[in-house]
Amino acid sequence: MTNNFDFAVVGGGLVGAAIGYGLAKRGLKVAMLDEGDVAKRASRGNFALVWVQSKGLGMPAYATWTRRSSDHWGTFARELEERVGFSMAYRRPGGFHLCLSQDELDRRAANINRLHNQGESEPYRIDVLDGDEIRRHLPEVGPEVVGGTYCALDGDVNSLKLFRALHEGFAVEGGHYRSGSLVQEIAGAQGGYALKTDEAVVHADRIVLAAGLDNVRLGKMIGLDVPVRPLRGQVIVTEKTEPFLDMPLSTVRQTDEGGVMIGDSQEEADDYRVMRPGINAVMADRAVRMFPRLANLNVVRTWSALRVYSRDGFPIYQESPTHPGAFVASCHSGVTLAAAHADLLAPLLAQGKLSSDLDAFSSRRFHVSATA
Amino acid sequence: MRRITVAAELADHYDIAIIGAGPAGMSAAVEASLAGATVLVVDENTAPGGQIYRAVTRHSRGHDDVLGADYWKGASIADPFMAATIDFASSTTVWSLDPAEEPSAHATIGLTLAGSARRVEARAVILATGAMERPMPVPGWTLPGVMTAGAAQIALKSIAAIPEGPTVLAGCGPLLYLLASQLLKAGADITAVLDTADAGQRLRALPHLPAFLGSPYFAKGLRLLVDVRRQTRVISGITDLAIDGDAHAQSVTFRRGRRSETLPVRTVLLHQGVIPSINLASSADCAIRWNEHQRAFQPEIDHLGRLSVPGLFAAGDGAGIGGADHAAVEGRIAALGALSDLGLITQGEAETRLAPLKQERRRYRRGRAFLDILYRPAQQFLSPPDDATIICRCEEVRAGQLRQVIELGVPGPNQLKTFIRCGMGPCQGRLCASTVTEMMAEQRGVSPAEIGTYRLRAPIKPVRLSELAALPQTEDAVFAVTGRRPEPSTNPKGPNL
Repeated sequence: MTNNFDFAVVGGGLVGAAIGYGLAKRGLKVAMLDEGDVAKRASRGNFALVWVQSKGLGMPAYATWTRRSSDHWGTFARELEERVGFSMAYRRPGGFHLCLSQDELDRRAANINRLHNQGESEPYRIDVLDGDEIRRHLPEVGPEVVGGTYCALDGDVNSLKLFRALHEGFAVEGGHYRSGSLVQEIAGAQGGYALKTDEAVVHADRIVLAAGLDNVRLGKMIGLDVPVRPLRGQVIVTEKTEPFLDMPLSTVRQTDEGGVMIGDSQEEADDYRVMRPGINAVMADRAVRMFPRLANLNVVRTWSALRVYSRDGFPIYQESPTHPGAFVASCHSGVTLAAAHADLLAPLLAQGKLSSDLDAFSSRRFHVSATA
Repeated sequence: MRRITVAAELADHYDIAIIGAGPAGMSAAVEASLAGATVLVVDENTAPGGQIYRAVTRHSRGHDDVLGADYWKGASIADPFMAATIDFASSTTVWSLDPAEEPSAHATIGLTLAGSARRVEARAVILATGAMERPMPVPGWTLPGVMTAGAAQIALKSIAAIPEGPTVLAGCGPLLYLLASQLLKAGADITAVLDTADAGQRLRALPHLPAFLGSPYFAKGLRLLVDVRRQTRVISGITDLAIDGDAHAQSVTFRRGRRSETLPVRTVLLHQGVIPSINLASSADCAIRWNEHQRAFQPEIDHLGRLSVPGLFAAGDGAGIGGADHAAVEGRIAALGALSDLGLITQGEAETRLAPLKQERRRYRRGRAFLDILYRPAQQFLSPPDDATIICRCEEVRAGQLRQVIELGVPGPNQLKTFIRCGMGPCQGRLCASTVTEMMAEQRGVSPAEIGTYRLRAPIKPVRLSELAALPQTEDAVFAVTGRRPEPSTNPKGPNL
């Protein structure tokens, strides 16, 4: 088994796999080092939106990055599907966010307004609609919905198929995937890095840490403070039912296979094995008020997963100032950003230098504000 | 016994909640109620008895010709159960089990009764969920007309129904012969019993034979084999079993040595042993371990049935296959363990009462290894070689697709499930989990112990969305979803819990 690579990607979730796939298809010899079968794995718990509306309030660069990924998603999906030979059910029909009270709608509208005022390089439209307008577009929406927002740029995908496709695409491009390879130690060696796992020592000229919450631990090994924390979310999935919803909502979507996903909550908590029944009750109640027809569907699964949240909620992409050629990529929204990671970030990593438009994502922003 | 028929009649809180009213659950309930504990017993069926003593309280005793004397032993457990001071919720599905988050708190079970969901707290929970049949994936096993031997036995016990037309039983293990004997007595048309047991196992089981000779199961088992062989054709050493038919099973083809044979059928009953039902224990994050003799995962328990998560116990076949008599003893042991942990009986009293029970348990465990090894299913029925065989019935995932994804290097069954939806359907992996583990172990050349199995999440049985929606909403929960604390007047669910 070879242990010398051009690039080692630490982490085999959606972020690591997208970067790994992007590097491998550019001809690099890449290792993807992953944990075992039972791990935190945000990638198994996501809601599968390719989402634009409302993202980036507080950081215009993130709004732009999200938009670029979303705009590139179609091309990225087609290319990946050609490689692996199955569809990921990606679509971009626009998406809604629904509100069940005037207070919710007012807060939502205020946020959208602030986002507009923040200024965009390529402004896009978000419509604030009242309940009747919503029901004209989505006739099944219940009477308790008072309004919502719509953005034509939103879409979704079957995220499990995306996850599998990235891994298969990586394999097709000659990437080396190794599970059960938790990295214990990173040391400089032979002009590159030596990553020690329980099984082996992997050498790579360059490395990128895409290990979700574990980037906190790993970052220290390359001289980087990566301030991310877990933000727990819960998701409910119903049995399959006939198609009734042909576009995604921020909290309700019907998958290509027919099941309905209901999300999503946010809670400061770090145990992915715990689920709050009360939260499921609130989510179920709201979903039924949004779509009364859901009431009689059987729930077949619920789960909780940990989002990887930085202090301001925005991604961290950065090269270590002390360890050249060692990068970090930390973010939530690994589905939306998959296209950017594979085809915008990976080429920069392949060249060995991040471009200046990614400066905003450096973790230096936290340290500046801490001393200011 | 107080029969609970609607969710509102349940108390919010019990000392001990027992899930399952088979021999283990009924015995545990009687033991716990005698000590004055408040006890809730929950079972999916309409009457107590579990699978083995299904409907034992309903039949008139004249029925015993067909079901045999062992079945009526259930009455001696069911009678005191019916007379005990307990709450019994039948036709009730438990879909979640949340362990106590801190030592002073209580475990919570989520259940559905008469269309309404309810969450009930208990200081201790005893899982007496019994066994399920090990899936036997062969080509054609999803055709109408094919069912498990266990399903046929349920029909026989609950409504005295026998399978239609020419019937073939295929597989291995004691229950296959027990059912054959019961069905023959009831007048079923059994063309053949196809025994798929691996002949090599006879030699491997031999060292354990002396112990088995002293087991209460020995004479019983021998009688059964002789009885079935006398009445129908028994063919051993079966390989390459396949069921054919367009819309319904029409024939069974099998190979024995070099000869291949086809039998016309209307019904095929498959069975290759039973394995513990571990879904609830697994969903509560209890430690699970591989039992190589029984070729199955089982929850880890100590000598009193304590699971690795405080406050939770397991007893009977759900904690490791041991049979009905063994389960009844284990139920009492777990109840005494729980009573003593809760301080409802003194440790001294518990020990006095446990001593004879532990001795009895040892007697029932004697010779178990012989049966386990003798009836270990052949490898080709654990890990189907034919790529077209369906493994996950809910999502229609075939063996070939699974092997392809395993080849990608996925770390285990949970990532595999994510990639290919195997085990994601309404059965929550009950019908594919063991096969997936076996296939992965075979392909990687390692023990199933190293592969592991699906990690489960609630609901372990489907529950309607409207039922979840009607459960209490806490203020924190509303905040976690909406980012806003609810106004007292706008909280639709009344008091915050």
